[in-house]
Amino acid sequence: MNTTMPPVEPGRRAAPPGSLFTLGAVLAAAGLAAFLAGLFGPHPQRAWQAFLINFLLWSAMAQGAVLFSAVTHTVKARWTGPLSGLAGAFAGFFPLSLVCFLVLLIGKNHLFPWLHEDLHGKEIWLNIPFLFTRDGIGFLILYGLGWAFLSQDLKLRLGTSGPGGGLRRLLAGRIPQNDADIQRVQSRKALWGGLYCFAFAVVLSLIGFDLVMSMDPHWVSTLFGAYHFVKAFYVGLGALIILAAIVHLRRGRRAGIAAAHFHDVGKLFFAFCLLWADFFYVQLTVIWYGNIPEETSYVILRTVTPPWNALAWVVFIICFVLPFVVLINRRVKTMPGAMIALCGTVILGIWLEHLLLLGPALNHAAAELPLGITDGLVFIGFLGLMVLALAYTLKTFPELLPPGSEGAR
Amino acid sequence: MPGEACIMGLFKDEGKAAKVIPELAAAGFSFRRAHSPIPSHRILEALKLKKGRVGWFTLAGGIVGFFTGFALAIFTAVQWNLIVSGKPIVSLIPFFIVGFEFTILFSVIGNVIGLLVCSRLPDYQGLESYDPRCSGEHFGVLAACEAGREGELMDFFQKKGGEVKVFA
Repeated sequence: MNTTMPPVEPGRRAAPPGSLFTLGAVLAAAGLAAFLAGLFGPHPQRAWQAFLINFLLWSAMAQGAVLFSAVTHTVKARWTGPLSGLAGAFAGFFPLSLVCFLVLLIGKNHLFPWLHEDLHGKEIWLNIPFLFTRDGIGFLILYGLGWAFLSQDLKLRLGTSGPGGGLRRLLAGRIPQNDADIQRVQSRKALWGGLYCFAFAVVLSLIGFDLVMSMDPHWVSTLFGAYHFVKAFYVGLGALIILAAIVHLRRGRRAGIAAAHFHDVGKLFFAFCLLWADFFYVQLTVIWYGNIPEETSYVILRTVTPPWNALAWVVFIICFVLPFVVLINRRVKTMPGAMIALCGTVILGIWLEHLLLLGPALNHAAAELPLGITDGLVFIGFLGLMVLALAYTLKTFPELLPPGSEGAR
Repeated sequence: MPGEACIMGLFKDEGKAAKVIPELAAAGFSFRRAHSPIPSHRILEALKLKKGRVGWFTLAGGIVGFFTGFALAIFTAVQWNLIVSGKPIVSLIPFFIVGFEFTILFSVIGNVIGLLVCSRLPDYQGLESYDPRCSGEHFGVLAACEAGREGELMDFFQKKGGEVKVFA
């Protein structure tokens, strides 16, 4: 984080091309159409399942990417360079994520199997009003802290002129004018960044417990929350690498993202690939040793019983074995094209992993995997939302793009 | 080599030392080695070294360690054949921990062996042309020239801003 960075004229940095907005809108419309078609089709629960899975995945990507910016600022890392600004741009997805969370309320009867079960005392925790209130407050706190952190970051980056929007003018009016102001903004940025890191762990754990683990209300793993937020950071890093690689491929050296940046963030991605697998293994070992039917049934259903066992192996290979083997190589980490392919594959793998965790609870006695064209289109729809959110944020705040970006192609 | 003189240029500036290395060959001298008190990317770039093979030793050590760990755990378990809590004698899930730990251990050992082999250590002969200041605040560039050209090489280093040390 460069505190003495002079304000850069926004005109020097390229706003995302208008075609990105069109692309995002088309993808989002396709996803919405598929979701609505699914809702009014014979299996509306399948459409809701796809919505929940994609909501969790794409929200985790945005939350994890912003965490990268917050955590590297908190530990005073200096290697991030332009990656920090790009990571902050993912905060643009936060409002959409909040809206999608509220939409889940409409599909509650299809999403929460425990609504129709005897919960043996867990009703105090697992009831719809309390669940949506606490999770909603959690998201508001997390996203509020994320935007507070980003606003301080932007105050240090904003120039005195540039494209004017309401949000931009609001921040531009408070641009630090002298060293004392800069110090004050720096202190606030560190505070909000640190709080975001803390809230990330707490809120993502809560979401993991409430929206994933609770689907099997009689199964408990105390580590599940940590597993969920480690996974969120893993996919967040993947999404950030993809965005940085696209910017680099479009603008070449002018983007200012060096091979060393890709190498460093690639190492972090590699580390969280290992950590994700480690958290999976740690849970598995405890359950294996305990050998309690209430706990083992969850694992057996997903790893031994068809049709889920094949999916479990696919997830394990895509999310761990493949990136582990590929990322051992140093050079691959510096190749933007290869990293787009690898990170995209891992994100698809985590999408399937969500299906593996939620699918058996939402599709009892399934003879085949509940995976169809609707699921793919809803995924594409959320991709469109992410494209729109990033394009809007980068258009409103082009300072988040690398300083060397001088013109869109 | 007989008929050859070794002279070291000692520089306080890392950049000057790095700049001298490629210029030695152009001036007709032979570069022998560089000494740096810190890991220096600039000197490494000037040396234009090929990528080292230490990583392959590490990888080989890790793979051997992974299977050795499993083999050791299985071997010790079958020596006793005690069934604990109804678990199989050979249980791969907990044995993975031993496999993992051995992967790390053997990777480190492989790395150290690779370092020693690739750096050809220990190198006692190299100490004959070493200056202790290279472990302090100086960067040393050791070069060789034919007998009779010692003066030229000394001038070369001095013009580049270095001190000179002559080795017998």
